Amino acid sequence: MQNTSNSARNYAGEPLPELKIFPNRLLKADTTEALLSGIYSIPQVRQINVHGETLPAKVKSGPHTGIPVNHPERRVIRYGDQEILLTMMVGAIFVELKDYDSVDEALEGIKKVCDELLPFGYTLDVGRYSKFRPSLNDHLKSRC
Amino acid sequence: MAYKRQFYPGTTVPAVNRRRYLDPSQNLKKLREVAMDDVVRILGHRQPGEEYKSIHPPLEEANEPDCPIRQLVTPLEGAKKGDRVRYVQFTDSVYFAPISPYQRAWMYLSRYRGIDTGTLSGRQIIEMRERDLEVIAKEFIENETFDPALTGIRGATVHGHACRLDENGLMFDAWQRYEWDAKKGEVVYVKDQVALPLDKRISVGKPDSMENLKKRTTIFRADGVDMRDDKEVTMYGLRIHKLRTLAGFQPFAMKGE
Repeated sequence: MQNTSNSARNYAGEPLPELKIFPNRLLKADTTEALLSGIYSIPQVRQINVHGETLPAKVKSGPHTGIPVNHPERRVIRYGDQEILLTMMVGAIFVELKDYDSVDEALEGIKKVCDELLPFGYTLDVGRYSKFRPSLNDHLKSRC
Repeated sequence: MAYKRQFYPGTTVPAVNRRRYLDPSQNLKKLREVAMDDVVRILGHRQPGEEYKSIHPPLEEANEPDCPIRQLVTPLEGAKKGDRVRYVQFTDSVYFAPISPYQRAWMYLSRYRGIDTGTLSGRQIIEMRERDLEVIAKEFIENETFDPALTGIRGATVHGHACRLDENGLMFDAWQRYEWDAKKGEVVYVKDQVALPLDKRISVGKPDSMENLKKRTTIFRADGVDMRDDKEVTMYGLRIHKLRTLAGFQPFAMKGE
């Protein structure tokens, strides 16, 4: 999981609603950038987390261990006023909303963004897919 | 009555394809042309034009013992010359790749000799004497068991066969050994099978459409041809399961079966 915020994980402490966008294809960095920009422009959005297939910086096995991979999809992306190093091909996007009342409105906005950017299809679900308060593991790894 | 070799049951498209791939009397269609030097570059075991390294003297000079098996088995060219054993490994996407690893094993063993092959969930390795391996690798890159988008040549870090395809329809590869050439509409190898960048870009041709791939595949899938829709294949699986469960490795011991 990659948090799109540069800060430590930002737990709400309560199970706010989450939207799961599951594209039918793994996304390129350009599409991810545009998608995140579109989603971030929706005012009801509190936080976005992305999942995907990791793109290593270096070859980690075989006879050429240690040489750079130079994958073109592993690059810095910008959205809103933030930038992050994208280290994966994104396969799922989890959008946490600010409150329960904004679900329908946010869903409509996100659907519009997805229809435009994901012509190969996607599924969009509402639920709660990740933890909303720090776990023991977070304390041990000093992530909160 | 002489025993007539059978290959695979069933009447559905994947079953018929399996039968055809396994039958050595059926020639596999050649769909593309890749130069031998380019195949050697992708394999990455030697430079094109470089001498083959050997691990033992040529058999002619080896003073072989008088052995009936040695007289019976004709050695491969690579064995005659004392070549090293090298490998090529193909990865097949679950998204209707033309063939899957398990059928690769059946096919290799049915069609060739002098190979050692190993099956994993998404990949299939062939180990063989180097010069013979290069011939087989070229054959399998050029023939219908290979699709540029859904089959990968990957010596290590093969992860991707069960991942969704990327936006260009290519199987995920963390090492990006091949890339999509949008101008030509072709898949181009830019690294060898163990991720060392190549000094030239090697095109392996245009990927086939998903519609055609569904006609070429050996993969049963719920969103393609469900294995349960082929009664004969289902019964064959159930029969093996029953015999194995009741009789272990002695299926002939079952009476009435």
